Amino acid sequence: MERHLILEDGTVFSGQGFGAPATTFGEIIFDTATSGYQETITNPIYDGQMIVFAMPVVGADGIHAEAYESINPKIRGMIVHDLAEVSTNRQRRMNLDRFLKQHNIPGLYQVDTRKLIRHLRETGSQKATIVDVVDDHARDQLQATVLTNKQVQNTATTKAYSNPGRGFHIVVIDFGLKNGILRVLGDYDANVTVLPYTTSVDEVLTLDPDGIILSTGPGNPEDLPESVLTLIRVLQSKVPMLGIGLGHELFALANNSELTTLPAEYHGMNHPIQEIISQEMIYARQGRGYVVDPDALDTKKLFVTHRDMVDNSIQGLRHRDFPAFSVQFFPDGAPGPLEAKRVFADFFETVVDYVQKNN
Amino acid sequence: MYKRTTDENLKRILFLGAGETDFGMQGENDAAIYQVLPILKSQGYRLFLVDDNPYSMALESSEAETIVSTLTVQNIKSIIKEKQIDAVFPGFAGIRGLRLWQQIISEWREEDGARPVGLGMPDSTVELLNDSAALFERLESAGLSMPRATIVRNQAEANELLRDLELPLLVRAHNPAAGTTRKIVRRLDDFEDAIDQVMSQSLTGEVVISKAINGLKEISILVLRDSNGNCMQVGATEDMDPVGIHTADSLSVAPVLTISDQVLQEMRSQAFLVANILNIQGPVHVQLALNEKTNQLYIIKVSPYLDNLTNRMALMTGYPVMLVAAQLAAGRVLQDVELPDSYHAKTAMMEPVMDHIVVKLPVFSFGDLKAAGVEVNRQLNSIQKSVGSALGFGRTFIEAMEKAIRAAHFNNRSFSPKYMKNVSDDELIQQLIHPHDNRVLLLVEALRRGYEVDELAELTKIDEFYFYQLKQLLKIESQIVDGEASQELLSVAKQSGLSDGLLARFWQSDFQSIRAMAKQSGVVPTYKALEPSAGEFPENAHQFFATFEEENESEPVSDKSILLVGAGAFRMGDGAAAGYVTSVVLSELRKLGYKTVIMNNNAADASLLPHLSDKQYLEPLEVSDVMAVVDQEHPEAIVVAGNRRKLIEALVALGQKVIVLPKEKHQPAGPESDESEFALNIFYDGEAAYPLVLTQHQEGEVRLIDQDVFDADLSGIKLPYSGVYQLIWREKRTDWPKEVALPNFAVDTWLRPMPFGEIAFLSKILQLSLIRLVVRSWKGGLDGSDLEALVAHMPALRGSDFAMVSDRTDFNLHLKPDSPIDSTRFEMGAKMIRLQEN
Repeated sequence: MERHLILEDGTVFSGQGFGAPATTFGEIIFDTATSGYQETITNPIYDGQMIVFAMPVVGADGIHAEAYESINPKIRGMIVHDLAEVSTNRQRRMNLDRFLKQHNIPGLYQVDTRKLIRHLRETGSQKATIVDVVDDHARDQLQATVLTNKQVQNTATTKAYSNPGRGFHIVVIDFGLKNGILRVLGDYDANVTVLPYTTSVDEVLTLDPDGIILSTGPGNPEDLPESVLTLIRVLQSKVPMLGIGLGHELFALANNSELTTLPAEYHGMNHPIQEIISQEMIYARQGRGYVVDPDALDTKKLFVTHRDMVDNSIQGLRHRDFPAFSVQFFPDGAPGPLEAKRVFADFFETVVDYVQKNN
Repeated sequence: MYKRTTDENLKRILFLGAGETDFGMQGENDAAIYQVLPILKSQGYRLFLVDDNPYSMALESSEAETIVSTLTVQNIKSIIKEKQIDAVFPGFAGIRGLRLWQQIISEWREEDGARPVGLGMPDSTVELLNDSAALFERLESAGLSMPRATIVRNQAEANELLRDLELPLLVRAHNPAAGTTRKIVRRLDDFEDAIDQVMSQSLTGEVVISKAINGLKEISILVLRDSNGNCMQVGATEDMDPVGIHTADSLSVAPVLTISDQVLQEMRSQAFLVANILNIQGPVHVQLALNEKTNQLYIIKVSPYLDNLTNRMALMTGYPVMLVAAQLAAGRVLQDVELPDSYHAKTAMMEPVMDHIVVKLPVFSFGDLKAAGVEVNRQLNSIQKSVGSALGFGRTFIEAMEKAIRAAHFNNRSFSPKYMKNVSDDELIQQLIHPHDNRVLLLVEALRRGYEVDELAELTKIDEFYFYQLKQLLKIESQIVDGEASQELLSVAKQSGLSDGLLARFWQSDFQSIRAMAKQSGVVPTYKALEPSAGEFPENAHQFFATFEEENESEPVSDKSILLVGAGAFRMGDGAAAGYVTSVVLSELRKLGYKTVIMNNNAADASLLPHLSDKQYLEPLEVSDVMAVVDQEHPEAIVVAGNRRKLIEALVALGQKVIVLPKEKHQPAGPESDESEFALNIFYDGEAAYPLVLTQHQEGEVRLIDQDVFDADLSGIKLPYSGVYQLIWREKRTDWPKEVALPNFAVDTWLRPMPFGEIAFLSKILQLSLIRLVVRSWKGGLDGSDLEALVAHMPALRGSDFAMVSDRTDFNLHLKPDSPIDSTRFEMGAKMIRLQEN
């Protein structure tokens, strides 16, 4: 059935509907990666967003148990050029179309996605809606819709849980955690406790962690309560800390630095990132709407460890006084290059150091 | 860590040429060298090139000092000494260049003086690549898996091996006498019998045993690495057919569609690891096999040199692979690579991403050979049988595949319910298991006869995705065949990559009416730019392909452009020479100040190099594709080779100005073994004919006769098109005379356009580019300044010292023909050989 995408600036793109026949609203962004669609749509950082895929054929690898980044995808829509109907599930037919239906997410295919991406590149991320009919009502609805800024509340766990292992005790503060991080911690056999971001300093310290990870997550970090920044300020001075994605942005905010909003978000994995200390180049999955403002970085507290070599944006920070650091990109892959995993190796080195000194 | 750019002594670089074209070598190396010479020269290097390929573009480049010489260790060594070479570039000549460089290294003696540096990889790697056991060990110790192949001479040795290897095993004869059997042993009980049987097929009584990985999925990854150890992935392609069918003979698709990100990232990491272990500076092509049941990966081939994937990847992604590779090998790091202004400033460092699909389809010559009475073994296996390939660009797999089929065959046979009707069910099953060249047609036919997707996937080891796609195609087919011509159906058909001509056939209409209807109902192509950022950045792209969507990104290059219709896939007979001719035409038109547009679909062809034309359309070359580009660009004139008669007629009928480049429909057959063919080669400027030079041709060899022919009376000759031609006569003799009695040209000879291969050869030995001469004649009348301009940079040769020889191709290895193949008519490549002084 023909369905339509209306952008906040009034532009309309038409295509065929797939997935759920629902009408949704969200912020529209584009992704240039050519693999990992399932990981991407299940990544909680995309809560409230609609994703346009530059990859023209999506769905050819089915839906896999090992490719979930969360069980319940929170995206508001998926826009592709061509949709493949392939199922790799051993129990029942489960292709991308059915998967989206099951989760009540609408999709649109046979869209001139290259035109749409070129348009978004110029006009920036904005509100959008997927509808059956383009009329004044639909346009008014879109203009009137205020998108939520409660994405973290929406996706992050509200209850603590553990993912036991026999290694170091790592506390993950969940802002919309993706499974990739847990997978890598599993590789290190870490004994993981995932805590809600509302946890108090006392509760964390009572668990006596060997290291703390500030997880990835959706939305604008400035929408989170001040208590989160306090939590970070206290914990970073006591225990090794790694911030990732939203966690990195919060780490910067907690250390007296500011963020800027990107006109068009970047979601992809083809930008080279320089590790400044070694001058080495790596590639990593990125998904960002905000970056640390280099002019508003508190250089007394933090210094830059990584930069995107294409747009020169800050991709990594380290605290001058504490064993705390952060990366804007996703070092766990899922989807994305594996060379970025070295960030976790650095983290565990710091953890080992801390444990040896404090035993 | 060393940075060679800082090495002030590294000034004089010698490129090894790739030699004659052949199976698997379709001129891509020469195109690559031709492309990188200007940028390296601009960076201050003094460049030299040695090659013996008469169809080489690079040998005619003015950016390097070019030397025609047979590619032997002795010859290269003397060139190195004479020209005081500091560094040698072997990798641009592919596997041949690397082998030659290996030999040069091992045969270099102290008295030869200081040996030049090898660019692209350290000597230790060159050595390692020559020793497969050591290479295996090195990669395995780094945690990589390779299917180990071991040679055994008797049952005892074979049994010994069983302790280390798990079943199933692949058992085959080493040095086989004739036809080889590959036995896959699944049960221990069958092992001894298999060894016995296969051993009897070997001339040396040796058997090769390896882990059986046939049937696994095959993937190719192209990596670039710099001297600081930074790696980037240029791209990856997956083969539709499983391991066991040569990758050149399989349909392949990019980007990879059917493999999960997790596995793809693991492959990428392994490919980077290979590049790091080998210490590569430049490109490395890593082939991997994937067992999808276990996710086990095997490295099956490592090619740290330019091969046809390198050029293909450049064309498919829009990323300038060659320009970057050359600078990396010369010592620059990725961050410092310089690119022309048309690229985004950071393009060299960004991994290209594709927002389109490219299907590569192999081109086989079985049909042409059969028409000439030669039957060959058509069954596809691990030995390459295809002679070339064509690319189809689209935004869906079906669109890209249909366009690739049209590009490869000039007519769309896959899309016809009748074509495969006569294949019996038994044959069908046989060919599903033992594929032939008609692979896609057969799969479609199997679906049409009601085979289930999972059955077919099991039989063929082809991913289910492809069958779902082909089923979709069948659905479209029946819609079109059963339906009436309508805007909706037309739109569906065009989005699926079908041509106006084919639709005309289905709807009992004609090409013109379909075209008119499409235009009227707005079903017109939208051209999408082919650039490496997938829309993230504005890039000043010059490459486009057609699809049927909303936005058209292509603007006409000029109101006075010339469109050139390229030659398409490499085929037997005109092979690389066709690419040479097209490229020289583009180069000369540009010199004369014209804006040029090229249409082509062959990645090995120099004609698609970005610096040779103002715009490149990566399209099939049927009438409807050409007309669509004509509607887009409104060129002043269209240059078409004379063998494309139907296209020429159609274009003329549509009121286009066509410039015909004379060419016969089929490559002419060579003389019989007991005779010589003589040719008076002439140039016709549109009004009168002028004699050029006399040549003699014996089976597979052409020589120039140093005899004055300027008095030949050609006054009677009137031809429709300017060009270079030959007046031919044959004599029963097999000597090489220094002078021959000339016949009465008006009576005893016949006239034909000069074959492209001979144009390339004669241009070199006459030191006068015949194609440039022809191009200049198009503007009407040549004068002295033209000739002066044309005494271009050519290798300094004495023409009569060289012969062109074309019988080196190992047809027996590749095709197993039942009778000899005419090496002139079905030529794959040729080399220039210096004749003994006498």
